[in-house]
Amino acid sequence: MLALTLPVVAEQSVFELHIKDHLFQPSVLYVPAGEKMKLLVFNQDPSPEEFESFSLNREKVILGKGKATLFIGPLEPGKYEFFGEYNPDSAQGVLIALPEQEWLQHKAKHAD
Amino acid sequence: MKLYSKKAVIKALCFVCLGSSTLALADGRVVDKVYHPYVQPLERSFEYRYFYQRQADHPDNNAMGQKLGYGFSVAERAALEIYAIADRVSPEDYKLSGYELELRWMLTEQGQYSADWGMLFELERQNNQDNYEFTTGLLMEKEFGPTSLTLNALAVYEWGKTLDPEWESEFRAQYRYRWLPAVQPAIELYAGENYKGAGPSLMGVHKFDRQEQLKWELAVIVAIDNQTVDRTLRFALEYEF
Repeated sequence: MLALTLPVVAEQSVFELHIKDHLFQPSVLYVPAGEKMKLLVFNQDPSPEEFESFSLNREKVILGKGKATLFIGPLEPGKYEFFGEYNPDSAQGVLIALPEQEWLQHKAKHAD
Repeated sequence: MKLYSKKAVIKALCFVCLGSSTLALADGRVVDKVYHPYVQPLERSFEYRYFYQRQADHPDNNAMGQKLGYGFSVAERAALEIYAIADRVSPEDYKLSGYELELRWMLTEQGQYSADWGMLFELERQNNQDNYEFTTGLLMEKEFGPTSLTLNALAVYEWGKTLDPEWESEFRAQYRYRWLPAVQPAIELYAGENYKGAGPSLMGVHKFDRQEQLKWELAVIVAIDNQTVDRTLRFALEYEF
């Protein structure tokens, strides 16, 4: 098994998601495709929430007023929907993985 | 950009085949759940498992077993599950054969390293024979794009009134295609004392409401050596709430 699990030594981009009033903020999150990244999820509500996404293959409970770290990617370019399992009607969002050129343009646009 | 390599998948499958051919296995039932290395806080579940194995002229012919469990997380990364076990070996009827206490411990966050790791600890008491079995080992899962490879490498220590104390080893593997939440086909491989088997499986999850979901698994495992009972059916239901 150890042969399959050589450590990953790469600097990871960090992105943040907040949960407030059972909503994800932002509900649309742009990230670069082809990179491993860290997603910090802050739950500002007093009740727990579960970040869940079948397409990302991630499921993580975040306790009330708590924080969770998810390790995601590398992703193919595309859309990856996620939702809060405790409040699926309101807590919904999408993560959009952009190809390199589009990601650089997106970063430049939002750096202004 | 290719995000996972075919070479890595082939390497992993070769490892699985190699592992299954070199490990010795256990007296108990080898075909069972392939454990994933993940634990969620606030996790609670009822679980039902069933197996049936059949082959004419085999000493382990026509045996059935059922397990009923209740599990809950005891920490952010640890979960306990308690089971009652009933077995039936034809022509006898079902009898409550034992109890089991299981602890799963998530060692790494999913995706943090190139593979995800956990540990399993199980203590089983066979109450009709006053025998015990302690199992521990590593649980590993690795993503290859839309597929996941899960490996369980377990060490088993048996002792009791009708058992000579001994260490044995078990190996379980599952290679799963995450096609749809409700339908995820896989292949499974098991190796243990006097047992080597492999076969197709199908699993999925259905969500009912907030925090309520039903996971299901079905597998048909066939012998890959002459000592193994030829056909084993494995079925499991897990209600999480």
